[in-house]
Amino acid sequence: MQRVRVAEREGWRAIAHEHGFSFHSPEGEPYWDESAYYRFTLKEIEDDLEAPAEELEKLCFAVVERAVADEEVLKRLAIPEPFWDHIAESWRRQDRNLYGRLDFSYGGGGPAKLLEYNADTPTTLYESAVFQWTWLEQAMEQGLIPAGCDQFNSIHERLVHALGRFGIFGTLHLACAGDSAEDRGTVEYIEDCARQAGVDTKFLFMEDIGVDRDGHFTDLDDRLIATLFKLYPWEWIMAEVFGRQVPASGTRFIEPPWKAVLSNKGALALLWEMFEGHPNLLPTYFAEDARAAELGDAYVRKPLLSREGRNIAIVDHGHTTSGLATANDGPYGAEGYVVQALHPLPSFDGNYPMLGCWLVASEAAGLGIREDRTLITTDKARFIPHVILE
Amino acid sequence: MKRSKSIALVMMGAGSLLLTACEEPTVEARVYDGIGQCLDDPAMDAAACEENFRAAQQQHAAVAPKYNDQAACEADFGADQCEPAPYRTEGGGSVFMPLMMGYMMGSMMGRSSVAAQPLYRSADDPKAYRTADNRNVGAATGKTTVARSAAASPAAKPYTVSRGGFGASARTLGAASG
Repeated sequence: MQRVRVAEREGWRAIAHEHGFSFHSPEGEPYWDESAYYRFTLKEIEDDLEAPAEELEKLCFAVVERAVADEEVLKRLAIPEPFWDHIAESWRRQDRNLYGRLDFSYGGGGPAKLLEYNADTPTTLYESAVFQWTWLEQAMEQGLIPAGCDQFNSIHERLVHALGRFGIFGTLHLACAGDSAEDRGTVEYIEDCARQAGVDTKFLFMEDIGVDRDGHFTDLDDRLIATLFKLYPWEWIMAEVFGRQVPASGTRFIEPPWKAVLSNKGALALLWEMFEGHPNLLPTYFAEDARAAELGDAYVRKPLLSREGRNIAIVDHGHTTSGLATANDGPYGAEGYVVQALHPLPSFDGNYPMLGCWLVASEAAGLGIREDRTLITTDKARFIPHVILE
Repeated sequence: MKRSKSIALVMMGAGSLLLTACEEPTVEARVYDGIGQCLDDPAMDAAACEENFRAAQQQHAAVAPKYNDQAACEADFGADQCEPAPYRTEGGGSVFMPLMMGYMMGSMMGRSSVAAQPLYRSADDPKAYRTADNRNVGAATGKTTVARSAAASPAAKPYTVSRGGFGASARTLGAASG
């Protein structure tokens, strides 16, 4: 694995615009960054990322299996009681899941370590699946990178295939919150994939969802929402006014309710508890667990529920932090924390890449890399493309 | 059939989609603009007219399409063609539905595959009668034939009693994804 500097494609911003990639530079800050790329060998991809991702997904299934059979576990995950049965039923019914992203710390050599699993509302999907792919093709065409490069990226075709196999009757509704251009872009992309799979679609904002007299969810035309793809975290849904309507609504959700178990960072502690010593896992404990002390004075504290690196604190008394962020402001943490052994992201010229390994329908499908200048990957991270080249 | 038998569409540049129309089986039915027209039909007896009319009327409020404002209803069904439904939203708001413009029944009592039901007329095609499920049953009254799918019992239509119960977390916490 190497970080290679490279010339940008001329006019890539116009290309982004053409391809519907509107959030490449939010608030003027570059998000898509093609001034460099990461180069992997096929063996690194297949042995160190692809195979572990699929194996970890199976271990995660064992975690869900255990959670739905043990209310104590659901309680530790701070999942509200009215949803326990609903989550368990969705698992027993084998509700299909569409996608997820496993975030790894990996620098080539040594096993990739799972930092967290964005199982419910992962983004960077479009740029991983489409824009990164386009970059590869054009960069080869323009001679910016060697001919014969490949990429770990069958995300797009797998999404279309998976959506076609969901067995969606009638219209697929898709929703996200009204105020995020990035979320809107991701949902638009899923909608595009669904249409390519022959599924009729309709978008609305989460805020516009209604309920009818019988507790069914409705869209703005008062049509029933039979299937809803929601880029909106389960823990938010469960906490909000309409959340209590969910179990009896009859609406089928993508991602399914059982993903609430895995998008919770407590799942990392459960994974370690059940599969201690697995090469791709880091020692992780619930903060109140006595064993948490075994991590000594070098660990990362993460709220059970948080995103974009918020409220994550790196505690490392052995080192001076030399300007790296050690704590991020954010509103999360009320539900509790896990502590995870410190396994810093590798540094490439002062950049810290986080490797997001995509799963589509639980199969490893591709890679998207976000790079930050701090050890905690935040919403200021930049997306860097990658290639496979021997 | 006056429409194309098949249409090829190219969707999102991702391949072609072939739509093939199919001829549906039909059934015999009777369509009337109201109870009076039925009673005037020498082929019908008064008891059948009344019983089916009552059945259609009773379903009207449940099966008619619902709207949360009158303008939206009138946009689909025409000016003064809507009435308040006997429902309220949780916030006390009105619910609107189109006026019942006729009814449909089978030819004979008890042995028909046609469910007695209310009929409506939309603003964009005011001559034709439509079922509550928006199936066209044509402009003719009296004895007629309709597609078998149009003869089925119409589904109850939802109406939204409240909105906005999602979104609070996004307002407090920002982006939903990570």
